[in-house]
Amino acid sequence: MTQQLTPAQARISFADLAARLRSPRTLAVLAVCATALLLPQILSGSDMPVYVTLLLSAIVVTGLSMLMGYAGQVSLGHASFYLIGAYTAALIATHDKPTWLGLLAAPFAAALVAAVIGIPLLRLRGHQLAFATLAMQLILLNVVGQQEWTGGDIGLQGVPRLTVAGYEFATVSSYAYLALGALAVVVLITRNVVASRPGRGLRALATSEVAAESAGVPVVAYKLVVFSLSAGFAGLAGGIYAFYTGYVAPGSFPVLLSFEFVVMAVIGGLGTIWGALAGATAITLLLQQLNELGTAEGMPSSAPVVLSYAVYGVLLVLVVLFLPRGLVPSARDWWVRRRRPNPEP
Amino acid sequence: MSPSETARDVASPAGAQDSAPAERPVITVEDVVIRYGTATAVDRVGLTVAAGETVALIGPNGAGKSSLVNAIMGLIRPAAGSVRVHGRAALVPEGRQLFPELDVEDNLRLGAWPLRSQGAKARDTTRVYEVLPDLADLRRRRAGTLSGGQQQMVAFGRALMADPEVLVVDELSLGLAPLITAALADHLRELNAARGLAVLLIEQNARLALDLCTRAYVLEAGRIRIEGPSRQLADSAEVAAAYLGGAAEPPGPEGDDG
Amino acid sequence: MSEFVQYLISGLAVGCGFALLGSGLVTIHRVTRVVNFAQGMFAVVAGLTAGSLLSAGLPHGVAEIVAVLAAGATGLLVGIAAIGRRGTSPQSALIITLGIGFLAYAIEIMIWGDNPHSFPGLGGAVDIAGAHLQKQYFLVIGAAALGFAALGLFFTRTYLGKALGACASNPYAARAVGINVTRMGLVAFTLGGMLGGVAGVLVTPLQSLSYNSDVLLITNGFAAAILGGLNRLGPAMLGGLALGVAESMVAGYYKASYQSVVALALMLAVMIWRASQHTALHEEAAR
Repeated sequence: MTQQLTPAQARISFADLAARLRSPRTLAVLAVCATALLLPQILSGSDMPVYVTLLLSAIVVTGLSMLMGYAGQVSLGHASFYLIGAYTAALIATHDKPTWLGLLAAPFAAALVAAVIGIPLLRLRGHQLAFATLAMQLILLNVVGQQEWTGGDIGLQGVPRLTVAGYEFATVSSYAYLALGALAVVVLITRNVVASRPGRGLRALATSEVAAESAGVPVVAYKLVVFSLSAGFAGLAGGIYAFYTGYVAPGSFPVLLSFEFVVMAVIGGLGTIWGALAGATAITLLLQQLNELGTAEGMPSSAPVVLSYAVYGVLLVLVVLFLPRGLVPSARDWWVRRRRPNPEP
Repeated sequence: MSPSETARDVASPAGAQDSAPAERPVITVEDVVIRYGTATAVDRVGLTVAAGETVALIGPNGAGKSSLVNAIMGLIRPAAGSVRVHGRAALVPEGRQLFPELDVEDNLRLGAWPLRSQGAKARDTTRVYEVLPDLADLRRRRAGTLSGGQQQMVAFGRALMADPEVLVVDELSLGLAPLITAALADHLRELNAARGLAVLLIEQNARLALDLCTRAYVLEAGRIRIEGPSRQLADSAEVAAAYLGGAAEPPGPEGDDG
Repeated sequence: MSEFVQYLISGLAVGCGFALLGSGLVTIHRVTRVVNFAQGMFAVVAGLTAGSLLSAGLPHGVAEIVAVLAAGATGLLVGIAAIGRRGTSPQSALIITLGIGFLAYAIEIMIWGDNPHSFPGLGGAVDIAGAHLQKQYFLVIGAAALGFAALGLFFTRTYLGKALGACASNPYAARAVGINVTRMGLVAFTLGGMLGGVAGVLVTPLQSLSYNSDVLLITNGFAAAILGGLNRLGPAMLGGLALGVAESMVAGYYKASYQSVVALALMLAVMIWRASQHTALHEEAAR
């Protein structure tokens, strides 16, 4: 196409290079949105739950990726906030309060907890914070598993369906749309945070806290905000999860789930929204395939678990070693490099 | 683009010096290029040190001296060119670089790491205490608690433990009082005279370096600008102006008019 | 009183395991700056291997030693992945060891299934101060004490131990005297693997292990190690013992289900207290 442009057109398009670069991107965004909206209509009954799981993971991972990529903080306990959101929603809904209130309260409860524990916890950095968040989740699981009001190890059963303004979310596809809506909100919030002035301050924070601090970035406050925000996202996903499955139990939020979120974030590419979405999608689909393979006839009963662990491990190691920035940023670099040799007039 | 070539002609090449050491080289550096990212720190540098010879490498901060040292010691790999060390080179690193938590004895013993296949005898530190008797009293002191001069002495001793053919001394005088520097310089002279230990001395203090060594190279902006017998360099107006504080002139413009 | 002795001795025995794990973490971290998340996995590998070897008919002693060596070899492999590639940051290496933990899960489930395993240790019991104590407790404490003594001698008396200390003290200087710091890092990983392995074979007869026991083991080991800032062996050992005793007391006098909560809360408190002593500036300067 480029060759057929007149010189004048070429000059205009050259001036609008930035816009032109953005346009395939806009197209891609539209395509992804359209696919996401159409999928609940297309997918078979057995594939729908996978889709809902994928979307819920994507919500959590978007926040986690922002936390890890922008604020440079590793959380190995992010499923805690998923749990808190789920239990908040379930507790409210099972106490004859309106279910929509439960869904609304879920992200706020998670964010509030994160803000409170974040004050002491975020003084820690790197591996210390990683272990502290892990410890926090182990404590939470232990405590939740022993309280009467949380239902102990059995958890809370019989969470009613979510009803908003008289509409009852009854089908799997209704929850898929709900999760999609939530994901859209989360992505928009993240985009705005990232593009804001504080967002740029955060980026500095990931490389050097000292440098960021001396540049006047209120490091502690920013870290706390991002930590709470990412916890709020996880809480929102947890709230949807509670209504979707109809019950919550400590066993649904193992430490491994936290690790899985980290795997998704790292593999997709930290600090990018697309990376978070791609990571959640890639891992969920891969696990689904492996699960089918593992449950195929003639496979030992442990095969699905073995396969999924092996893939997590191998992927994580290979990506960190050979694509340390993750799939999406690496792919973007490759794309840019591939395009650059084309001589521009 | 060939200031280094012309500079090399200022003084006669190696060999024409009065002390007439054996011609067998212990360090041969040929056309070495060292890059950090896109920045070139060392650009096609050649340098030799013959057995028993004392050679100085002088130049301003950031000229690439430390990069060259690291390449000679095999700590970084040059982008081009070759570095050959015949026999063993031991380093007295810039800023001493001891093991602060370990005592003097252990610091010395670790200097014999390249000889570890030769057994415990190679780790015997008495031979160092004989040469540097001041260290014997400090043998149980933690290296981190010593004064700068004492630390430099330990760094020397540690390097000697490797039984080197050539000692590479990176910044002998940096951060030390003149008296202490002079004492260390005497030690170096003695080691060279008594044992035929070759020395490559990297120094910012050009007067000290030219005084101590028979031959010298001047490195500027990653290239050898001048080389020759120390006496000749000390007499050269250019060197005097730039490095010996002859004229009260700061390092000033370099390269383009050479 | 008899109860107290009971809890104290059993706590010390379990604490020895934590102390060994913590020492392994410290050994690796000192030399490589890497916090090895796979440290608990070494104990699991050794414990399960020893059990299999014993049931295959190998005598006690031999089976345990082979298992510890297997854990050492595992440590070496983890080290190669974590630090073998130049330019891998300690943070990335932590994620790599996390990934290897997943891989280990897969392999462990394939070999041993997902049920907890144990093997009989030293049978019998003795009565001291009215407390009925398994002999295995004393075996664990004695063997761990021997292990610590050997480790101490290794670092203070051997040339290789000194070289490891040199890498920890000043990596640049270590390279300058000709020590290959990466290779020393691999030695540290191997040693860390063996220490984890010793913990595994000693503790398995006391409490059965399954593939995912590693999370609790690594958290307890980390809690022990963090007392000395991950760099000092002495505090790590003491920390491990204190942790074991504290957990045992909580389990005995209060509620067994809260014992890990106490340990974890203790660890958080220590970390936050330590963090309040160090600013970000300290840490980045130390990098």
